[in-house]
Amino acid sequence: MNTLSALPAGLGRQPWSVIIPLFLLVCFGASVLYSAAGGHWMPWSALHIVRFLVFLVMAMVIAQFSRDFIKMMAVPVYVLLVLLLMAVEAMGFVGGGSQRWLNLGFMTLQPSELMKPGIVLILARFYDMLPPGATREFRSLLIPGALIGVPVGLVLMQPDLGTSLAIVFGAVVVMFLAGLPLIWFITCGVAGVIAVPMLFFFALHPYQQQRVLTFLDPESDPLGAGYHITQSKIAIGSGGLFGKGFGNGTQSHLNYLPEPHTDFVFATMAEEWGIMGGLFVLFVFGWLLRWGLRTARDAPDRFSRLMAAGLVATIFFYTAVNLMMVMGLAPVVGIPLPFMSHGGSSMMTIMICVGLIMAVDRWGKRDVKGSFE
Amino acid sequence: MASIPLGTAQGLTGPANRHRARQASPQASHASPGRRADLRASTLTMARKRVALIAFGFALATAVLVLRVAMMGVFGGTGGFTPAGDALLPDRGMIVDRNGVPLARDFKSYALWFNPKAMEGGEPLTRPAGEVAARLVDIFPDMDEADLERRLASGKGQYLRRRILPEEANRVFEIGEPALSPPAEPSRYYPEGNLAAHVLGYVGADGKGHVGMEEVFNTSLTDPSTRGTEQVLAIDSRVQAALEDELLRGMGLAQAKGAGGIVLDVDTGEVVALASLPSFDPNHIDQKGMELMFNRVTNQVYELGSTFKPLAVAAAIDAGVVTNLAKTYPAGKPLRVGRFSIRDSHTIGQNINVPEILIHSSNIGTAQIADELGSVRMKRTMERLGFNERPYIELPARGFPIWRSGEWPRLTTMTVSYGHGIAVTPLHLASAYAAMVNGGIWRPATLKKLSPDEVPEGRRVFKESTSARMRQLLRLIVTDGTGRKADAPGFRLGGKTGSAEKPGDGGYRRTSLVTTFASAFPMDNPRYVVITMYDEPKGTAATSYQRTAAWNAAAAVGRIVPRIGPMLGIYPDENREIDLSDVRPLLEKGGAH
Repeated sequence: MNTLSALPAGLGRQPWSVIIPLFLLVCFGASVLYSAAGGHWMPWSALHIVRFLVFLVMAMVIAQFSRDFIKMMAVPVYVLLVLLLMAVEAMGFVGGGSQRWLNLGFMTLQPSELMKPGIVLILARFYDMLPPGATREFRSLLIPGALIGVPVGLVLMQPDLGTSLAIVFGAVVVMFLAGLPLIWFITCGVAGVIAVPMLFFFALHPYQQQRVLTFLDPESDPLGAGYHITQSKIAIGSGGLFGKGFGNGTQSHLNYLPEPHTDFVFATMAEEWGIMGGLFVLFVFGWLLRWGLRTARDAPDRFSRLMAAGLVATIFFYTAVNLMMVMGLAPVVGIPLPFMSHGGSSMMTIMICVGLIMAVDRWGKRDVKGSFE
Repeated sequence: MASIPLGTAQGLTGPANRHRARQASPQASHASPGRRADLRASTLTMARKRVALIAFGFALATAVLVLRVAMMGVFGGTGGFTPAGDALLPDRGMIVDRNGVPLARDFKSYALWFNPKAMEGGEPLTRPAGEVAARLVDIFPDMDEADLERRLASGKGQYLRRRILPEEANRVFEIGEPALSPPAEPSRYYPEGNLAAHVLGYVGADGKGHVGMEEVFNTSLTDPSTRGTEQVLAIDSRVQAALEDELLRGMGLAQAKGAGGIVLDVDTGEVVALASLPSFDPNHIDQKGMELMFNRVTNQVYELGSTFKPLAVAAAIDAGVVTNLAKTYPAGKPLRVGRFSIRDSHTIGQNINVPEILIHSSNIGTAQIADELGSVRMKRTMERLGFNERPYIELPARGFPIWRSGEWPRLTTMTVSYGHGIAVTPLHLASAYAAMVNGGIWRPATLKKLSPDEVPEGRRVFKESTSARMRQLLRLIVTDGTGRKADAPGFRLGGKTGSAEKPGDGGYRRTSLVTTFASAFPMDNPRYVVITMYDEPKGTAATSYQRTAAWNAAAAVGRIVPRIGPMLGIYPDENREIDLSDVRPLLEKGGAH
């Protein structure tokens, strides 16, 4: 099958049923950013759309890669990312209490972001190589454990709890789908329940502990650490069914809302667009996840199925944790909302995920076609 | 939303299944890898099941989020925590009067605090203590330079001066000593000074409210969730100021020890003004102020004397004992009850009717009416007026009446009818008068402003008809009787004087009186009860050497009502008057002295 055929045919093969809703969501996000900037395209809104278009092209290019190429790239990419994480530790600069960025001169790179698809890729590759019967053996746990442990340890050292959790979540979903015995997950779950309190007291920084405590009772300190959650809930709650109208959000415009253009963009949106806006955003994400999981289900082989499902899980983690955070269902962990929040690194990560899922989608269709040929 | 149909996930149709079949079949032809293929197939099925499980988990999370968004949008998410109020949230809530005038509020004030640690390890002061002390005395000339120098040299952190003005704080700042940085401290400020001091109370150094509504509201004034909303009192600060002003003036004229006054809304029980004099300054609590915190109006019980007579007459009319106001009672000589004899201040007449009894304030006549009413009904009316319990008001200081429990002897019934043998607070009397003139409904007094739907239903003490009759009689006392000094032109005031001797060692002391005037206006449609009371007034030139209620308490009401009437929306109208045509002819010579 010709992978780079004439343009019209290539366009026709793109999964427009997911690209178009995504584009609508990005435009909606841009309008929210436009309003949050006080009715200006700059500094966020215009950049938001341009970035999406650039990354969309990138995703479409990724989608054209062959399965063998992606498989081949899994290990080098993983090794490179681990090296970059170490480099961040070594010479990253301090920003916002955490070391996360690597200044490459022309852009700042956040390797921990790229590690989210990276870990999915390497684990999918690992379980693909593993004989089907070997999933019950301990090597199916030990090697991935090391593969996860190294980057997660490095990210925790930054320290960045949210990203660490995202990496672990994507990895665990891949392991789950790879067919590791259910009892292992249950055991880990129980161990987690026991370990979480200990982690809370010994592993978390005081500011992270404070965030968790505040999440449990935000009203206890409405002007202090609970401020973010309280203001966010006010913004969403005050929107009502149809919102206050475009450009009329007081919470964001009067700076009550923290980070109205990044982590709390959903609250900014909900204040102006109400439940209807919130449902639209949730619907598009639901649509995206449904498409991703269907792609995973119908994937032609083990590697692509594990990869697609792991990437969907990564996107899901971003979305769900951010939304739960702004709605007061989860602690404030500093995770942006895909396609809505302003920010290049996270959009790049998400679009890499989308591109890889699109590739799996293409492989599946080609194989199916092949089966009729 | 993120779900995929579970049926297809596990089903055997769909493109990928066909694909599996295609892949599996070539391997199935080999004998030994057959088992491996089975394993592969089962692995694939398991993987599909798990994808479905993950999908189910995602769908569940999405459903929770959708529900949460809907709930927050519909129910407003979180409690009414308004961001605008955050920054303005006071340390202690504001108390305002019924028109929103601030009576107690937070005020950041400067203190002169000596902080020897400000230099962080260095010497406390950059200059010699003597020089700094001299410069401080330049700013505060009343401070002792030697004492200041000693205190600065001691190197101990301390207050050099509790409160300084902002411009003084600036000058202290200009000295340039880091150890003398005046911190701004929150403090309680009463913009109206002494006004309504007994109602408001004060905030002690412990940060708690004391005495008045500061104590009553202490919890809601300090709770972060409620202190943003101000507490609204029923008090009208303009009326309060007029009441205090005139009471104080009368106190000076009569050289009285103290005075008290109430203005009470007859239909709601709201206390529009309440004063106990001499007052104290809640901004500066000192020993003298502490001694003046006793509230004469709500805490001190008095035998209020003749002001009880209209209540006794009303009880008798209500019970049907007095059906004809023209009925006469012998009053030519003292009334003997056992060993006791009831007398009047002077002989009013041989036979006097009910209006005459009231306008001349006859003890003998009132006692006979009470005797006809009987002790059971008399006591019951007094109970219904709340005289057997502490007054109903929010204030913590509420006096318990001197109240005779059990069955009343005949003599008690008779003395109570003219206000002896029973002691209540002036507030008790105000509530009782409100019930007597408002159509007969008694309501508890309150210092909180009430919205129309918050007004308590109250309890009926008198019939509507009794109340109407009492309005005529009270008006008659002012137009033709002892209350004439209170007759503010055009305000149709009605009321009753009371001058009772204060009990002392071994009986009543003829020299020290408690004089009261209990009134309401306008009598054609009563709106407010006004009560004034003087403690031990003297006969002075200003009061024509008289010391009975007519010359001080009634006169004060005569001055107060023209001032407060217009503030309360009651304007003088000389063309209006309550209809007295059926009672005035009963007065013998058209009036008394």
